[in-house]
Amino acid sequence: MMERVTYLYPEIALFITTCIVMIVGLSRELKHRKLCAPISGLGLLAAGVLATGLVPGFHVATGAEVDPTAGQILLPNLVPYAKVLVAGVGILLLLLQAGTVDRVEEARIASGRAAFNPLRSNRAEYYAFFLFSLTGLMLCASADDLIWLFLALELTSLPTYIMVTMSTSRHSSQEAGVKYFFLGALGAAVFLYGFTLLYGATGSTNLNQIHHAIAAGGLSGLSLAGMLLALLGVCFKIAAVPMHFYTADVYQGAASSVSAFLAFVPKTAGFIAILLLASCAGWTHGAGDSLPDALRTVLWVIAALTMTVGNVLAIWQNSVKRILAYSSIAHSGYMLVGVVAGPGGGTFATSGIAAVLFYLLCYGVMNIGTFGVLACLEGRAGADGEPAEIESLDDLRGLCQRHPVLGWTMVICTLSLLGLPPLLGFFGKVPLFTSAISAGEIPLVVVLGLNSAIAAFYYLRIVGSCLLEKPETTTGIVRVTPFGSRPAGALASAAGVIVLAIFGNGFMAASEKAAAYDGGHVEKKEPRAAGVPETAPQALGPAKAEGH
Amino acid sequence: MDSPILATTDLSSYLPIVLVVLMAVGFAMANIVLTMLLGPRRAGRTKGMTYEAGMNPVGTARKRFNVRFYLIAMVFLVFDVEIIFLYPWASTFANLAPGSDQSLVWLVRILFFLFTTVVAYLYGFRKGVFKFD
Amino acid sequence: MVADMLAWVPSFAGSVAAMAQHGAEAVRGAAQEAASHGPAVEAAGAGVGGIALPGMGSKLYGLIPLLPLLGCAVCGLLAALKVKSKLPAWMTVVLLGASFILTAVMFNDVSVKGHGAPVVSHLFEWIRVHWGMGERATSLVANFAFYIDSLTCLWMLFVTGLGTLIALYASEYMSHDVGAGYCRFFAAFNLFVFSMACLVMGDNLLLLYLGWEGVGLCSYLLIGYFYKKPSAVAAAKKAFIVNRIGDLGLALGVMLAFVHFGSLEYSVIFEKAGPYIAAMKAGRLEEIPAIVQLIPVLLMVGAFGKSAQLPLYVWLPDAMEGPTPVSALIHAATMVTAGVYLVARAYPLFLLSEIALPIVAWTGALTALLAATIGMAQFDIKRIMAYSTVSQLGYMFAGLGVLTSAGAGFHVFTHAFFKAMLFLSCGAVMHGFAGQLDLRKLSGVGKVPGWRIVSMAMLVGCLNLAGFPVITAGYWSKDMILGGAFANPHMQAIGWILLVTAGLTAYYTFRVYFRVFAGPVEYEPGDELHAHGDDGHGHDGHAPEGRATTGHASEGHATSEHFHPHAPGWAINTVLAVLAVSAFAVIGLRFIGGHEGWAADMVEQSTARYEGAAAYEMAGGHAAGSGHAGASGHALFFGFDAHKAMMVVSGIVGLIGIAAAFYLHYAGRTTAARAKADALLPAMGPVAGWAQHKWYVDELYDFLIVKPLWVLSNIFHLIDKLLVDGLVNVLGWIPRAMGGVLRPSQSGLLHNYAVGMAGGIALLLLIVVLVTRS
Repeated sequence: MMERVTYLYPEIALFITTCIVMIVGLSRELKHRKLCAPISGLGLLAAGVLATGLVPGFHVATGAEVDPTAGQILLPNLVPYAKVLVAGVGILLLLLQAGTVDRVEEARIASGRAAFNPLRSNRAEYYAFFLFSLTGLMLCASADDLIWLFLALELTSLPTYIMVTMSTSRHSSQEAGVKYFFLGALGAAVFLYGFTLLYGATGSTNLNQIHHAIAAGGLSGLSLAGMLLALLGVCFKIAAVPMHFYTADVYQGAASSVSAFLAFVPKTAGFIAILLLASCAGWTHGAGDSLPDALRTVLWVIAALTMTVGNVLAIWQNSVKRILAYSSIAHSGYMLVGVVAGPGGGTFATSGIAAVLFYLLCYGVMNIGTFGVLACLEGRAGADGEPAEIESLDDLRGLCQRHPVLGWTMVICTLSLLGLPPLLGFFGKVPLFTSAISAGEIPLVVVLGLNSAIAAFYYLRIVGSCLLEKPETTTGIVRVTPFGSRPAGALASAAGVIVLAIFGNGFMAASEKAAAYDGGHVEKKEPRAAGVPETAPQALGPAKAEGH
Repeated sequence: MDSPILATTDLSSYLPIVLVVLMAVGFAMANIVLTMLLGPRRAGRTKGMTYEAGMNPVGTARKRFNVRFYLIAMVFLVFDVEIIFLYPWASTFANLAPGSDQSLVWLVRILFFLFTTVVAYLYGFRKGVFKFD
Repeated sequence: MVADMLAWVPSFAGSVAAMAQHGAEAVRGAAQEAASHGPAVEAAGAGVGGIALPGMGSKLYGLIPLLPLLGCAVCGLLAALKVKSKLPAWMTVVLLGASFILTAVMFNDVSVKGHGAPVVSHLFEWIRVHWGMGERATSLVANFAFYIDSLTCLWMLFVTGLGTLIALYASEYMSHDVGAGYCRFFAAFNLFVFSMACLVMGDNLLLLYLGWEGVGLCSYLLIGYFYKKPSAVAAAKKAFIVNRIGDLGLALGVMLAFVHFGSLEYSVIFEKAGPYIAAMKAGRLEEIPAIVQLIPVLLMVGAFGKSAQLPLYVWLPDAMEGPTPVSALIHAATMVTAGVYLVARAYPLFLLSEIALPIVAWTGALTALLAATIGMAQFDIKRIMAYSTVSQLGYMFAGLGVLTSAGAGFHVFTHAFFKAMLFLSCGAVMHGFAGQLDLRKLSGVGKVPGWRIVSMAMLVGCLNLAGFPVITAGYWSKDMILGGAFANPHMQAIGWILLVTAGLTAYYTFRVYFRVFAGPVEYEPGDELHAHGDDGHGHDGHAPEGRATTGHASEGHATSEHFHPHAPGWAINTVLAVLAVSAFAVIGLRFIGGHEGWAADMVEQSTARYEGAAAYEMAGGHAAGSGHAGASGHALFFGFDAHKAMMVVSGIVGLIGIAAAFYLHYAGRTTAARAKADALLPAMGPVAGWAQHKWYVDELYDFLIVKPLWVLSNIFHLIDKLLVDGLVNVLGWIPRAMGGVLRPSQSGLLHNYAVGMAGGIALLLLIVVLVTRS
């Protein structure tokens, strides 16, 4: 039996990086403090490389290899894909974070008006939280246990509450942080309650065991309730109806760079958790090999409501950040379609899981482009010297003429979010459609199609603003940010939107591999497993077995 | 029913809890409703103030204040947790065969854990938690 | 199923990626494939049905289309850099010249050394799609590969050769546009050569289709080159739209071929058509399914569109709005022969159809006659040349239809040279006389100093077009078609039509020559003296090389007394001289090689070979071997061998036409506008007027097709505006309304959100309870 540590190398690398960043960021020397971001980047890079499992001596095992009875074996290939994805998108996100905190303070120190005061400096904490959150996200993918999953989810979320609050010195950020924290706690309470019920129903916190129990004995009332509450609670992380209320306020209140973070990191954690939970329930029920009826119904309703609510609310908005927040809700709805569709035939076109995993990549890349452009634009400096955020649609008028590079980045990424061929968003959305069609979820596909059409309305408003309208003299944009890595990040994601659309085959194949679902595994083995005496893990549905 | 599954169908044992919850909710609701029905309503400037007891609110509620207290509390917590973890580790480690591979693994694990507390301590130190001026 | 079919979508987008990633692999695979075919070629010599399986060709041939493509890209770059020199022209000449040299190498390898055995040169995998499962598994494979046999070489030789010469000509001709449209012109020019090369060289019908649409696009771009001139824009649109009708036929033909044969590659199609060919040769026509007979008919529709045959010829005369080099290259020498190429390439399929080749023959012959009659009555010399092109293309189709594919191929080749030369000469006149093209306003140009070479070239071209006996290549190629028509017992009527057309052609050709180049010196400048280069040909604003600016126009002289035509410079003269010499040199090709000459050998070595059996000969009781004339030899022409008789008869007919032109348009002419022919006009009554108005065909089409469509489109527009738009607006309003309803839920108040979340959870749980209960 291998050490469980062997599949946590990437997390360990990130954790050690976090420790270094925490200390270095509090250095008295500016040049040392400035090392935070590069070190974080190196750490992410190292984690990503380790996660591929290609580093000699650091073979990253999957859960099943570690412990066939305990390691997560339902989605055995999920781990490497998810971790590489997190590391890759994490680096893009890191590019946007430059200058998010301590900007005014550093300027004061540089001009000699103030001395360095570690208590007033937030840089170390900010980058540490950033990395902690990503570590949590990676841990989510490694989870094989409900407790682990819960801790990982919370490790992902807790830093984000603080990042939102400290991202700007405006009151709205603090308000957003508080709202996010309280509602997040409510969401966490809900899924934690669900987890306890699951434990109560199946007698185990291990995901394999839970699957085992459900596969053998069906969903009892209690386990159904547990599963439902767990899924609904995790819906908070992905901003799905009815846990979506916070999204617009929080995204608007946070700095754009943090909003980009929020749109990817908790969402990815949530989807990984949902995939794990759903694979516990198993896509092996009913005539069409779908989720248990009740779960399917709930996810179906949530998916349909989420896309619709997100899209129709976005229509009325004038704030780009709110539009993008609602679009983030809608995209969660799209991805839930893939969860409903399930693994299907296992090929890229038929597997909803592969579609979700690939869409996470697509959404991460194109979303960073849009938020990145906003993060590059600065308004008038406020009383405290901090520039205002650009968020009104009117401010973006004629962006393509005033700042062609940023303007076109915005246009390309927005069109990709809209799903316009031949951009990345289109190729992300197609497998969602095809997998749902092959799973026979035609009404849901119709809803998905209608919503894609509705979404065109507000995306095209952004595009029209940037591309077609004349630049206004009264626009709120004062200048482009002095932090060069922000436009670099936005540009990189715009380039990714185009390049991945052409050279994305490798990622498609990788997501197909990662989506391999081993749900039939347990049932096939059941005769033998049932014959194993008490030394075998409990919860084999013995009530039934012994009744006969 | 010696099933290891704790509760499959029988929820009746939870009945007392439900009753208590209902009573608690009912009591709270009843109080609110009763005040609404019975209590007199007099609006006014004094009545609308934050502290009805008469204390005058000063300044903004969004004031920042020194976080050093929390930091010290957290550093305390760090060491507290460390000790709590060290007890079970120590009692188990004593039972491992001396010099075996397993004992080495256990040692590395606790060293890693201690390393994290050292990082926390270092962080607190650089943050200036232990500076009292 | 649907999902499987859709599975290709991402991979299709990734095809470029696949090209890069798997390029090497695919090429290796193809090499193996080709290698496995190799022995088969050796062993069989000729595959089933007499068409050899292709060997493997050098990848070097891929440069032939890619060099012009590179030229196109560089021209685009130069345009972006706002280059204001003749650099694009020189680069184009060099690249096309290199392409021509490569073509010569290819010709040497394939036709001379390889005796025309087809080779396939595989560049990269272009499209590979699989769908269906089990027995219904289908795959669509279209490689970027070239099928090269003698027919390909024949075509590519004049495409790249003439392309190079005309690019050189255009470097001077377009010099007034240096900077402005120069790059655009040469970019489109290069793109055209690339597309044409794809069309001719492609090893599958899809690549042919790509080239087909590509040349159509370039034709559109270049006809509309003077896009500020409404007539040019209208002509470009007309060319594009009329071609669309033909292209629909071609597309359907390609699809049908794919559906029936399961492949688009020529080698596979011909292999699978082998049994049908055998059946046809044995006279068992009933074994050939109707669908196979339909494919050539559909392909033919495409060919008629691109090659301007009845009823789709109307775009070509209008296409003369483009710059003259374009008219010469695209609308006379190369693109318009694409239809002929298509029929020749798919000749085995055409031979299988009982109706396709007779239709081809009759359409060709009637087009030839009709266009000749219109050409007789026109006054615009470029337009006359356009109608003569239509007419000569009709000849080529007739040649294919009467089963002398060799004659048709030879005529394509000779025609390319002399027609390009005629156009370039007309263009030189247009260039020098400020856009004057009316033969009533030009006279004796040959006697104006500096115009000797143009005049000589024009004379050579006219002699060729008129079919002057023995000393012109046009005579020999036309003679092969006429002889073939009379030799074919089913096609005697075609022969008579073509013979009459030959006379008419000689007449109207020399009508142009005698009026414009001979006779008293008298000329009026065209209207471009007044148009200062903002549209149309702004010739007035530039100085020819090596000459001081005479400034005739910029000094404001607008009357003919002060007008001095500027003679063509060295580039134009060189090109004309080279073409004139090569027009004669081509005669030699008639006498080398087999008994019908080199070009005939080239065609005979390819898929266009006529193997002594065609379905329409077999039909109607002429079973194979029943001793009819077609099987044993030639039909007779008044008791003589048709071919030999035609050598004399067609020569005499041509001379009669020239003599008529001499008498009516040269003898006794005193002014530019007056000739003896005018006296004949009253005698002909309204017929002359009808011919001058092109038999009112445009008006007929307008009345029959355009007007009804216009009315229909208005009706649909109203429906769309009132009904559809109304519905769409209502639909668009629904999401907004929903958003408005949901908006208050986003109050920004924490406790409202918490209540919303808790309530939502409760509601969903309730739904589950209700659903699971029922």
